[in-house]
This record gives sequence, structure tokens and C-alpha cells, in this order.
Amino acid sequence: MSGLQLKAVRKSFGSVEVIKGVDLDIKPREFVVFVGPSGCGKSTLLRMIAGLEQITAGELYIGDELMNDVDPSKRGIAMVFQSYALYPHMTVRENMGFALRFAGVSKPEIEKQVLEAARILELEPLLERRPKELSGGQRQRVAIGRAIVRHPEVFLFDEPLSNLDAELRVHMRIELARLHKELRATIIYVTHDQVEAMTLADKIVVLRDGIVEQVGTPLELYDDPDNRFVAGFLGSPKMNFLEGVVDGENLKLPTFGAQTIALGDLAKKLKNGDKVTAGIRPEHFKRGGSAAINVTTELVEHLGGETYAYARHDGGDVLTVAMDDGRELVAGDQVRAEYDLKRVLFFDEAGQRLR
Amino acid sequence: MTIAENSSKGGLLARSRIARREQINGWMFIMPALVLVGIFMIYPILWSLWMSFQVGRGMNLSFGGLSNIIRLTQDPILLRALFNTGIFLVVQVPIMLTLALIFASALNNPKLIGRGFFRTAIFLPCVTSLVAYSVLFKSMFAEDGVINAFLMWAHIIADPIPWLLDPFWARIVIISAITWRWTGYNMIFYLAALQNIDRSIYEAARIDGVPAWAQFLYITVPLLKPVILFTSVISTIGTLQLFDEIMNITNGGNPADSTLTLSVYIYNLTFRFMPSFGYAATVSYVIVIIVAILSYVQFLVARDRRA
Ligand SMILES: Nc1ncnc2c1ncn2[C@@H]1O[C@H](COP(=O)(O)OP(=O)(O)OP(=O)(O)O)[C@@H](O)[C@H]1O
Ligand SMILES: [Mg+2]
Repeated sequence: MSGLQLKAVRKSFGSVEVIKGVDLDIKPREFVVFVGPSGCGKSTLLRMIAGLEQITAGELYIGDELMNDVDPSKRGIAMVFQSYALYPHMTVRENMGFALRFAGVSKPEIEKQVLEAARILELEPLLERRPKELSGGQRQRVAIGRAIVRHPEVFLFDEPLSNLDAELRVHMRIELARLHKELRATIIYVTHDQVEAMTLADKIVVLRDGIVEQVGTPLELYDDPDNRFVAGFLGSPKMNFLEGVVDGENLKLPTFGAQTIALGDLAKKLKNGDKVTAGIRPEHFKRGGSAAINVTTELVEHLGGETYAYARHDGGDVLTVAMDDGRELVAGDQVRAEYDLKRVLFFDEAGQRLR
Repeated sequence: MTIAENSSKGGLLARSRIARREQINGWMFIMPALVLVGIFMIYPILWSLWMSFQVGRGMNLSFGGLSNIIRLTQDPILLRALFNTGIFLVVQVPIMLTLALIFASALNNPKLIGRGFFRTAIFLPCVTSLVAYSVLFKSMFAEDGVINAFLMWAHIIADPIPWLLDPFWARIVIISAITWRWTGYNMIFYLAALQNIDRSIYEAARIDGVPAWAQFLYITVPLLKPVILFTSVISTIGTLQLFDEIMNITNGGNPADSTLTLSVYIYNLTFRFMPSFGYAATVSYVIVIIVAILSYVQFLVARDRRA
């Protein structure tokens, strides 16, 4: 199995630069997920790796081989498209075996490969059906099967689950994780669903506007984001960002009635009047925390297990608080939202993390 | 009778009255079209069926029973026209449709430079007047026309080819002419259909190492099958009605009736020599029957075996 390396990779469509210098190191057998908002260049980057888009500048290595000008079929990759891209006039069996006919694989061998893929994906009863006679999830599995039979070094997935309903997505997500274990192949997976990213990835690459914002394991990115964008992108409900001004040892929060958050050691690196944003995840509010903010709840959502309270102080910014024990809470309650100071993240005016 | 019953009965009556008025309104709307279709299509079709049983010259007609059909079987000129039309059909339609398909495939490639220009250029012949282009072809293929001049200049031939005087070459000229005129027309159908095929199907094939010829043969052609069927039926009908080109390029079937087609023969029977309306109508029905049979065969061939 091969890894991949991207070195200062760029892509322009005409005069518009879409990928603005991406460096990336992907290890063999790693499950890497590209996430980012719509239009940030995830698909473009994936298609460059596949060879469907020319690389404008920079270098792409798969294994140890420079692949910039290698034909897509010679890169040792297989791709699964969001639209599945199945051949509509062929049966499931033909869809999976078609490409092998041109790779010099013998008929019995093709049959064997197809049956093997069908077994892994539980497609055996459907082999004689056409794509239009399959459900979305089954089509998706055929598309994956078509990739599997080629035994690629690297699998590329472009939002493979986005056309499925919520329940099927969860099911297929688990299937994909199982498949990764079984195939032991390198997988690059594009999604804008952060739950898919968190659950599937060995490594997440967060992209924004053609730039890599941060690379790391899901929990690294969650607990220790480099910037405000990554902090806000992962996690649901989103992290609270409290705008403040440095005032001595403390961060004063004008939109929360000038309540303060202690800056701790960071205070030495900052001067009075600096604009700093504090980030607190909703679930980091816990009874018995070392600090607190006083707010009034405006809306309370009881999800059964958890309770989300959306609260403000005197009409300021909204603060989302998650609670395990908020069943009695109703809108209009005064709440002292306690949190652990150690878990608060601070960002400078440009959105970079202050450490 | 109770009030409730009464009113419900009235409701039903009212409803059926509304339904009837809607029916009448509907018929009124389509009546003008129906009348026109009736006068100019259905009546002539039925009248020509009646005519096909008439014998006699000019206006001097009488019922002849099956004698026109017997005449069909003993008519050497009809056989000739059938043979010529068959040649045009078997040679020209496949060549034209294959060309159209290849052009459409090539012009569907977004990376092709000058796509718009080529699309227009290939479609342009379809909007030229039938007579104008026929006259042009006739002059180009004349003994001292540009085609001969070019071939001699390029040293492909030593002596001018008597294009319009030799039966073989005359047919070649006719086939070239209709291919030139109608290829772009068929290409438009293929292009439209190609644009409905998901691009990522081809991208998937490319990644999986399916060569371009196989993509064309095993993906494009099967996916275009319904359109190919449609164009082959349309082209078959068009070829069976081949008339203008023959009238204008080979003066109605020269040399020696080698390009005489069924339509031209019907025209000759009707308006030339001594008009024979009845027999002309019979020959027209021959075309109808051939079109019906060929279309049915094409549907059978193209039918999805699994559906
Ligand atoms: N062929 C193209 N020509 C010009 N611009 C393009 C082309 N393909 C993509 N782009 C532009 O490149 C940018 C990135 O597109 P891309 O499809 O990679 O986004 P994405 O991250 O996959 O978004 P999504 O989550 O919506 O799929 C977009 O602004 C898009 O408009
Ligand atoms: Mg995309």
C-alpha cells in the first residue's frame, strides 16, 4: 500500500486560483478526510489526486512516484463519485467487472473478483440487477465494489454518502469503517459532514478557500484547534465565541455585561485593549467549574438526554450551554453557567489561537 | 322526497352538466386543428387508398380491383426504383449515422478548441435550401467541375470522372449529397442526448482504465440507443422519400434510371407521360408498407432484451 505526498500543490481555473498551495503527507493505510465548507476546493484537490484535473503547480507523489503527468488509470487509485457514476445499462455484475476486461484480466478471474467484492459488500443477491432497480445505498455499494475489484493502492471518495437519508448514512458510515479495516488500503474521503469526518478519520484535513487550515487526528483538532475557523467548524452545537477586550489579568466581555474571564498565563503576552476572543464549547459548561458567566435563558431545547440552553446577558450575544441535568430549566431562568477555566481557548483578532 | 335527497340529486345533475360543457369546450378547442388534419391528411390518405384500386389514364378512371397490384409485380421500372432506393438506404443511412455519432462524440468533448464553430459548420447544411445545394452539387460534380479539377490537381486521377454520366458514380454523388446535407441534423440529436449523460460516468471509466474506443462502443452507443433508433427510423423514412436531390442533380434518375427512386417514380407516374393516378397511389402504398416493416424491424432490433 502506498502513501501520498502533496508538495505546494496549486490549481487555477483560468485566472481564479482555487487551490493555493497545499502540502500534505498521507501515510499508507491511513483514512484521511478532507472537510471544509462548500466551495473550499475539496473536490478539486481530490480530482487532482485522481488525475481528472491537471495540477497547475507543485508535485504529487503516490508511493514514491511523481504522478503529476501520469494517466489516471496508471496511478493505482480508484474513485467513488457522489453521483455513483454507475453505467446505467449494465447489471451490477457488469458494472463491477467492466473495467477489468481492459486490464488484461481473464474471464474466470474477473468473475472471481466480482464475486469477492459482492461478498464483502453483501451484493450477491443483486448481481443481475441494473442500477435503476437499486436503492441509493445499494448503488453506493456497487460503486464501492467497482473500486474494490481493481485492488487500488488508494481509494478516493467524493461525498459518497451525501445522497443518502440520515439513517442509511449512519449505516454506510459504519460499513465504510469496517471496509477500511478489511481492505487495509489508503483512503481519502471528502465530506462536509463533520460527524463523518470525526468518526471515520485517522486524520482530518480542514480546508478553507484552497488552504489547509489544520491537519490532525479528530480529537487533536477538536481539543486543540489552531484557529477559530477549525474550532468553529468541528463540534455541534458550535463552540461559543465570546468577544472581549484585555483588561489587566482578565478578558472583559462587553456583550456579556462586562463580566470577565481570567486570562491566566496568557495575560503576560497581551496588553490592555487587545481584542481577544474566548472559545468555550457548549459541553464544557459543567457544574462545579472554576469560573462562571451569569446569563438569562431565552430558549431551552430538551433532547431527552441533554438540554441545550440558548442564553444572553442583557440582550448581548447568544451563549449556548449544554447540560446533562437541565430538565427543570425553562426559558427566562437566570443561570450561572459554570465552566472549567482550563478548557477555555483564546484567539487573537486574526483568529489565530493564543497559547 | 326530503330536502337533502333533492339537493344531492341537483348536485349530481349540475355536475354532469358541467362535465358535458367541459367536453364540448374541449372539442371546440381542438376542432379547427382536427378539421385541417382531416381535410389535408386523413382525407387524402383514404382517397389515395381508394385511388389505388382505380385504373385508367388521366381523369378517365374506373375501378380495377386488384389489377394495380398485379401490375406492381410485373413492373421492371418499379423494381429498378426499389433497388436504387434500397442501395441508398443500406449504404447511406449507416454511413451518415455513424459519422453523426462520431462527430457528436468528438464535439461533446469540452476540451476541444473551436467546438462552437465546428458544431455550427456541421449543422449549417441542414438550413440550406434543398434546391440550392442540389444545384451546387450538380455543378461541383460536373465533368469540368471543381471536384474533378481538384482530384486531377492532386494527381489522384488522370482523367476526369464522368460523375453524372456513369451509374456507379452518379449514385456516389447522390449519397455524398444527402450525407452532406443530413449528417449535421442527426448529430444535433446525438449531441443533445450526450449532454444528458452524467460526465462522471466517463471520468469513472477513465480512472478505471477503459480505453476511449471502448468508452464509445460500450458506454456511449448503448446509452444513445433510443436516439439511434429514432434517427434511424427518421432517416429511413427520409431516404425512402428521396426526391429533390434526384430531380435536381441527376435530372430525375439519370443516367439510365440508375438513380431513379420510388418517390421520383411516383412523380413520373402522376405528372409525366400519360398520368396514371391509380397506379401511382398503389406505388405510394408500397412505400408506406416498407416504412412500416422497416420501422418495426428497427424497433425489434433495438428492443431491450431484458425489459
Ligand atoms: N471546472 C471548473 N472551472 C472553474 N471553476 C471551478 C471548476 N471546478 C470548480 N471550480 C471552483 O473551484 C472552487 C472549489 O470547488 P470544489 O468543487 O472543489 O468545492 P468543494 O469544496 O468540493 O465544494 P462542495 O462541498 O460544494 O462540493 C469553487 O469555487 C468552484 O466554483
Ligand atoms: Mg465537492
